[in-house]
Amino acid sequence: MTSNDPPHARAPGRRARSVRRSARHWRATALFIGPTLVALAVVAVLPTLWAIFSSLFEWHFHRPHARAFIGLGNYVRLAGDARFLNAAWNTAIYTAVSVGATMVFGTLLALLTRAPFPGKSVVRALLTVPMIMTPVVSTLVWKTFFFEADLGLVNWVLGLAGIRGPAWVASSPSAMATILLVNVWFMTPFVYLVMDAALEGLPDEVVDAAKIDGAAYWQRVRFVILPMLRATIVFTVIFRITIDARMFEIIHVMTGGGPARDTEVLTLWVYNAALRNFHLGYGNAGGVALMVLVGTACLAIMLVGLRDMYGRTGAR
Amino acid sequence: MNRRLRRWPREALRLLVIAAAVFVALLPLLWVVLASFKPAADVSQLPPRLIFSPTLGNYRTVLDAGFAAFFRNSVGITLAAVALSVGLGVPAAYGFSRLRVPAARVLLLFVLSIRFVPYIVFAVPLFVIMVRLQLVGTHVGLIVVYLLINLPLVVWLMKSFFDDIPTDIDDAAAVDGANRLQSFLYVVLPSAAAGVACVTILSFIFTWNEYLLALVLSGRAAQTLPVVLTRFLGGMEDPVRWGLLSASSVAVLAPVVAATLLVHRYVRAGFGGNAT
Repeated sequence: MTSNDPPHARAPGRRARSVRRSARHWRATALFIGPTLVALAVVAVLPTLWAIFSSLFEWHFHRPHARAFIGLGNYVRLAGDARFLNAAWNTAIYTAVSVGATMVFGTLLALLTRAPFPGKSVVRALLTVPMIMTPVVSTLVWKTFFFEADLGLVNWVLGLAGIRGPAWVASSPSAMATILLVNVWFMTPFVYLVMDAALEGLPDEVVDAAKIDGAAYWQRVRFVILPMLRATIVFTVIFRITIDARMFEIIHVMTGGGPARDTEVLTLWVYNAALRNFHLGYGNAGGVALMVLVGTACLAIMLVGLRDMYGRTGAR
Repeated sequence: MNRRLRRWPREALRLLVIAAAVFVALLPLLWVVLASFKPAADVSQLPPRLIFSPTLGNYRTVLDAGFAAFFRNSVGITLAAVALSVGLGVPAAYGFSRLRVPAARVLLLFVLSIRFVPYIVFAVPLFVIMVRLQLVGTHVGLIVVYLLINLPLVVWLMKSFFDDIPTDIDDAAAVDGANRLQSFLYVVLPSAAAGVACVTILSFIFTWNEYLLALVLSGRAAQTLPVVLTRFLGGMEDPVRWGLLSASSVAVLAPVVAATLLVHRYVRAGFGGNAT
């Protein structure tokens, strides 16, 4: 982050006009930044506050006049709601597996493509394709062409090997495995791009596999390269957690939360509670709980992962 | 040379793994493009027909299903949303980079924190508010709401691009008598053209692909393509449906895939350098 001083503020000979200048400066600041802040206040702050406010009420969309203040009553109810706890558990599993897998695959890919090879820039461009493909479309393609029970490619290939594949999307636990697979396919390129750029910032002799033989290379990855990239890794993990914890489209399109709520994550729970059953207060309480859980997880990871980000401080 | 000869099996293995990764990454795209040109009866055939006489029949079915209107819908909403986000966000990023903004760090952190909130938390209140304002199902409603997704990205990415431009050129412009606005428009902004391209493409991709907010807020009249597509899910035992799904999928994917591959450099700059 750079200094926020305007470039001329400390220039000599300009102080005399500082009053008039500062009025003009305020106007400029308001002009440049004001619209964005107002827009975000309207589309982001207002809804968030309203979500928190409404979560304190028994509030049904179609009976707005019958709403009643119940304090933390909705949250108390959440803690004993088996369907909500099931969704929270599913979100935790989904996020943990997906973040872990994408971090490993993305980092490995970045390490593999670090040393030059013919067509490297083309490969890098092609590897980003899953991430920019419309998630609804790629999920539909995976669901129909690949994981359809009778007409899908996967079960056909398994059939050639004499294996009778499951009804992937419609049975448990394969439904969770299927959405995880699509999510890992979707998000590995993101980790790859970030780690690839971070590796590029390290000197060749540290990173390139060509120098020494295999075992020494993995030692170097473990004890030199990864520690050097720790800040990047911590921020990427945090970013990935927030993306997976709010994932909606892959699951909504692939399973709709089924079978028997085995893949109903918190985002789907809130969607169902607030926008299908129209229990606004209760649904929003779940949304606020999700927000708090994600925030807490990210903060914890930041504190542990970057515990020495301040370097040495006075007291020893 | 000797050393390289000894190492070739490992190098071959490395290239093989990379090739496999590229294959897996591209498989769904290649498969659906291939399927979209198959005769409708062949689309869901197993074993898959890799040799067939290509036809545009599926695309004709898609056009007959009234797809063009939804495509225009999506294009209009996306272009307007991107223009609005870039138009608001780029000056704001300049302000944060160059002007003395009170509590700048707090404000920047606030802008960033919006990216970390699950969108469903925004979606429910926005639905209720927009029902009151009768904005559900309007283009304007969705366009404004997409600021939520794009503005934080535009502000943070553009700020990092502006930060990289030395303030000497601002000073030079000031000496020449340019005011703040002129200095921004004619001196600093042209130097940050690559950044503007980068945020434009990224917000285009995110808006075009967005599903949750569109599903909740677009009603019937403003449905965007991802919402429309899920309608083709029903009745998948009918081969015509498979053809319909594949051709419309390709139509939806074409703009984002083309944009990304054409200007991959900028996309990479956005994700690799500054997105986290």
